[in-house]
Amino acid sequence: MKVITAYCNLRADECLVNGEVVSRRDAGSDDSWFKQIYKQQELAYPKFYKMDVLSQAGYLASELIKRATPGISETYADDEIALVFANASSSAETDRRFIQSYEGGGSPSPSLFVYTLPNIVLGEIAILNKWYGENMFAVLPKFVPGFYLDYGGILFASGSRALLGGWLEVTAGGTDVLLFMVEEQESGMEFNEANLLHLSQRVAAY
Amino acid sequence: MIYIGAEVIVSPLGDNAEDNWQALAENRSGIALVPAVGFNKEDIHLAKIAGLNGRLRFQQLVIKALIGVKACIDDSILTSDRTIVLISSTKGALDDNLHDQFGETCAAVMQQFNLAHLPLVISNACISGVLTLNVAGNMVEAGQYEHVIVIGCDVASDFVLYGFQSLFAVSDKPCAPFDAARNGITLGEGCGAALVSASESVFKNTPLQLLTGTSANDANHISGPSRTGEGLVRSVSRTMQKHGIGTKEIDFICAHGTGTVFNDEMEAIAFDRLSLPDKPLNSLKGYFGHTLGAAGLIETAVCMQMMRNGMLIKSLGYRNEGTSRPLNIILENEPKSLRTILKTASGFGGGNASLMIRDL
Repeated sequence: MKVITAYCNLRADECLVNGEVVSRRDAGSDDSWFKQIYKQQELAYPKFYKMDVLSQAGYLASELIKRATPGISETYADDEIALVFANASSSAETDRRFIQSYEGGGSPSPSLFVYTLPNIVLGEIAILNKWYGENMFAVLPKFVPGFYLDYGGILFASGSRALLGGWLEVTAGGTDVLLFMVEEQESGMEFNEANLLHLSQRVAAY
Repeated sequence: MIYIGAEVIVSPLGDNAEDNWQALAENRSGIALVPAVGFNKEDIHLAKIAGLNGRLRFQQLVIKALIGVKACIDDSILTSDRTIVLISSTKGALDDNLHDQFGETCAAVMQQFNLAHLPLVISNACISGVLTLNVAGNMVEAGQYEHVIVIGCDVASDFVLYGFQSLFAVSDKPCAPFDAARNGITLGEGCGAALVSASESVFKNTPLQLLTGTSANDANHISGPSRTGEGLVRSVSRTMQKHGIGTKEIDFICAHGTGTVFNDEMEAIAFDRLSLPDKPLNSLKGYFGHTLGAAGLIETAVCMQMMRNGMLIKSLGYRNEGTSRPLNIILENEPKSLRTILKTASGFGGGNASLMIRDL
């Protein structure tokens, strides 16, 4: 059966892997929350600093999921892991920053413009991992498990053997990120509506 | 079998597939020089729709296209819960509402046409259109829906123009895909739509067959095309394998052909690696400009018109060979019976997608 083998939540003040808090936000730090996670988790990918918030969120969560599923890149061929991500506000936060770059006297920033598409985060993850598989980014009013279940089913039936699903809502108003890896296994947390809903709402119990 | 038909094109060349076809048959372009629209008030070549101004431009185009599709099908399927509308777009109604670029349009379309489901938006840069047609075909094949209406739409905006200017990617003349002197894209706006269905009888005119394809990431660069064409090669070869179609059976390739130096070179390398360099090939960007999330729909709709009319359409803007691997670029319109065609797209984020259409 299809099983969720690892998942990562990024919230306003906590980063959780498989439900366990692995990083907490230090309100006194000068670093952004995502930079704090990057440092606390001792990640090393300097390109992280060039990324917009959506790509940073996808990078962090996908790296932490890989850490929790050792050998995932070796288990599958380079085109067998599909990426299916969604959110509600597209790349609005970076769109706003790009508009700011040229309104009020400045010039349009090319380094911001290249991030004004929501699917760029998929490209960043594909580049880092050399994954050549299927990619899709949808814009939905809210997190809907059926979207991942329906399209995941189609991808599994057409050659993909693992699915990295994601909900990445990162705006000025808040951070709500869930990434999850789905694989074929004999037992575990089934890839179904109830479990996805549960994971999307999971907050630390303490 | 998965059917595709009821194609609609809304562009500077007309409001329906027939008017657009007439313009293409006469090699008329929708591109014109627009005064002082650039970031530094430069005159810029754009393919803009006359009279499309003000608020809700995106919504207006989507609704116009859906009215067009409705007229070409058994319209009772629109309200069925076995029907869904997919919208392919990059920036949607950004100028109307930065923080919710699609919500208002989806709600308005659902209400006006009394749809059973909220439209689903797919936003994958320039491969959005081809990818969304493939998603539609896959949904029908899997039995998740019986009918999927696919609408691809993007409107011109300062945002996108200034962005491509900042990348020095905007052509100083109408774009010239695959030409030796090409130097960038020309932006366009428009909307393309089609119905993908499990049922032949819902189409008023004879549909064609959709042979759904796959997508593949280049895993190379977020805004620069691969030097090897790896993602495009993988996408096209898997699409052909999936349907057991060999190179001999491909009659025509509708390439992405943006008119940038590196994109067109990447495509030439990929088609060479795929043993397809001798196939008649065009880019339609010289007629419509680059319509981003609409491009895959508009260009697939043109392919369908080419098949229905038995005519190869010249690749407007091309004069001299300008890629390291030669391609068989269509120099003049030419009557030709087209049985099986290949449509490809590549875009920011490293995406590549492809599909095939076959006559019945």
